[in-house]
Amino acid sequence: MIKRVEINYRGIFQKNLGKYIGGDIVLIASREGKVAFSNGRYSDAPERNGIPCKYFAFVSPDLSEEELEAECGAKMDIDEADVSVVLDDTMSKGVEPWGWHGIRPINEKVREKGCMLVVTEKGHDDLVKFFAKKPFDYRLATLEGVASLAGLWVFKDDLTRERTLGAIAAVDPGIISIEAVEGYLLDKTKDKKRAQAAREAYDATLRNIKRVTAKEGIDWPHKVPVLPKWHEFEEGGVVVPAVKRGFKMGPRGQNRNEMFKRGTTKTERPVVRFDLCIKCTLCWLDCPDECFDPTDDGLYDIHFEFCTGCHKCAAVCPVPECIVMVDELKFDNEKSPWEDYVKDPAGYVKWAEDKKGKERIYYPPVTGRGKEIREGTTVPAKLAK
Amino acid sequence: MKVAKEVIEKKEVWEREELLTGCQAVAHAVRLADVDVIAAYPIRPYTEVMDLLSKLIADGELDAEYLVADSEHSQFEIVKHASSVGARAFAGSSGTGWMYGMEALVVTATDRLPPLFLVGNRALDDPGAFGVEHNDAMAVRDMGWLLLWATTAQEALEHVLIGYRVAEDKRVRMPIALAMDGAFLTHSQHIVKVPTQEAAKKFLPPYDLGERRLHPDNPVSIAPQVNEDWVIELRRQNWEAARRAKGVIKEAYQEFNEVFGPRYQNPWFTEFQTDDAEVVLIGLGTVAMPARTAVRRLREQGKKVGYVNLRWFRPFPSQELRDCLGRFKAVGIIDRDFAHGSPDSGGILCHDIRSCLYPLQKRPNVFNIITGLGGRDVAIDDCIKMYDIGFKAAEGKVGDELVTWIGLRE
Repeated sequence: MIKRVEINYRGIFQKNLGKYIGGDIVLIASREGKVAFSNGRYSDAPERNGIPCKYFAFVSPDLSEEELEAECGAKMDIDEADVSVVLDDTMSKGVEPWGWHGIRPINEKVREKGCMLVVTEKGHDDLVKFFAKKPFDYRLATLEGVASLAGLWVFKDDLTRERTLGAIAAVDPGIISIEAVEGYLLDKTKDKKRAQAAREAYDATLRNIKRVTAKEGIDWPHKVPVLPKWHEFEEGGVVVPAVKRGFKMGPRGQNRNEMFKRGTTKTERPVVRFDLCIKCTLCWLDCPDECFDPTDDGLYDIHFEFCTGCHKCAAVCPVPECIVMVDELKFDNEKSPWEDYVKDPAGYVKWAEDKKGKERIYYPPVTGRGKEIREGTTVPAKLAK
Repeated sequence: MKVAKEVIEKKEVWEREELLTGCQAVAHAVRLADVDVIAAYPIRPYTEVMDLLSKLIADGELDAEYLVADSEHSQFEIVKHASSVGARAFAGSSGTGWMYGMEALVVTATDRLPPLFLVGNRALDDPGAFGVEHNDAMAVRDMGWLLLWATTAQEALEHVLIGYRVAEDKRVRMPIALAMDGAFLTHSQHIVKVPTQEAAKKFLPPYDLGERRLHPDNPVSIAPQVNEDWVIELRRQNWEAARRAKGVIKEAYQEFNEVFGPRYQNPWFTEFQTDDAEVVLIGLGTVAMPARTAVRRLREQGKKVGYVNLRWFRPFPSQELRDCLGRFKAVGIIDRDFAHGSPDSGGILCHDIRSCLYPLQKRPNVFNIITGLGGRDVAIDDCIKMYDIGFKAAEGKVGDELVTWIGLRE
């Protein structure tokens, strides 16, 4: 028997977290006399900020290490997961790790009666509405918490690691038991607080497991790319069509690379108060992904399928409250915000303020110093009479 | 070699068990070998070994010079020069990085210096690809190098110690490349037994270049310009060293077994269920895992199949392979590499083995599998397909085609 765990994480910010959890599972399972190993999906390039990536852990009570590796380690990705951990809930909207993979549902690999385990402050329904329909029932567990996003290359020791281990024990004790998790953490760290965090997460997760039926979720709108056979494509290395040169004013006016959109990289998206815009061009100029489209009225629309949520537009915008980053899960479409604004300016401003809410997050210039939450000010609408 | 569990362990030589990737296991072995000089330049998938080595130095666990070079060429030159002044030296690379430093790799061999290199196997660009392919490491096969493949992280750790022991021996003094499959070994985390420093020291004597050491107290000039006056004799010396290396390798494994317990029976390759086998596959690296699992499944159906996991590629164990493979009906050679334009368009390993078997009176039917290029999966089902070809080959029914590509979109 084999138990397969996949750990979906955000590139670089959670790379160490994902790897540590995978390694911890191996060591904990081996304390219980099981054979285990862990690897990452090698085709991921997890150095890219925010990119969805995977680690795996494989556990077996009866196979030899070599057989387990032959079954699980010889393949780049897995066919099915007993537990699919999601370390940042915004990945619920789908993941596009690499140009040739396409945008995949986050629950693609979870098997029948298997379990999704999402670190989130949201409820089950807030997540399932973004999942793809599956042909069978499975479970969804939530572990209350915000995504643990560390600075570049570093690890944020905020107990997410320990809590996730406790939650995995709750959703499938056949992988690791909570007693083994506690024993491991105590032996390893001599720190009761860590074992206690795992136990508390275990107890809380047991209360937060819900069945997801085959009917729930959406019909997945994105196609998986089908790559050509060796004799079907042009010789001369891989030569793919470049993005055709093309530009016109207005939403979706620039031609872009449809092969790799990268929109699933974002955890937050910019919400623009077009009424406050002074048309300084900085957002459009500085966007590293060129997702701003100039419009006839001198504003800049955003193509969210290509926005990676990098925060740069919000950082360079000189007008207070004009561009504010907002939790990606608050949005359920990639439509042009400018079109909504033009249609109903007052309604749009109200909608934007509603999405922005009261809290504004500030990051100190040195990474690893955490973040600060302040109250935002609501700037009245400046609309043409 | 039988499976590790059948081996009686000598507990006192192992310090601890640790969860390590293949690259990290090599870094710990470099620490245990008490290496003096390390030169680094990053390229996936070997890079993690440099990450951990720099950490081990920062943590005070290893006392070594660590130089970050401006390219692989400089990286390998640094290691070559360090080796010539008597420092035990380590470097590594992958794919096109390895090829970029090729000039330095060639002269390290012709100068008969024994640093150890890790090659995390990677496809050769273009297009940019970081999956495993063996052509990178194999590029030094004709240049006076020792070259071997590790199959597990444990084996990689142990072969750094064995590697230095062989390469630095006065009778050998050749550079050594320890190759491992990118991703499948470099990046996979396993529980590895880490030996004590004392045990490592007991097995691996200090590096001593003797009268050849470049030092102010021992003024010598290495590699002055020579032409037709010297070179053919030098090549003959290189060959002699490679011949002597075979004996030194056997000795090294005997000594390793004495210190660490009986871990290796056959230095050159490991046979799996070959005693009564009729169809056998042979390959390098991690393809052994799915292949041996395929053997187990086919054995359950009563099929007489086996697997030979080749470890040493240079020096090539010709007589040993003749003795082993000559007794089977069909031998399939798995190449995770290619040799374009070569005889019958086979793989590099295939050509060496086929040529090695030629002097036999009774030769097995040989077939060649090209698979797993660029890191493409080679799963258990793929290996079963290979054995199916072998059953036809055993009856002489394969036809004119030597090579079958498996795992290709066709």
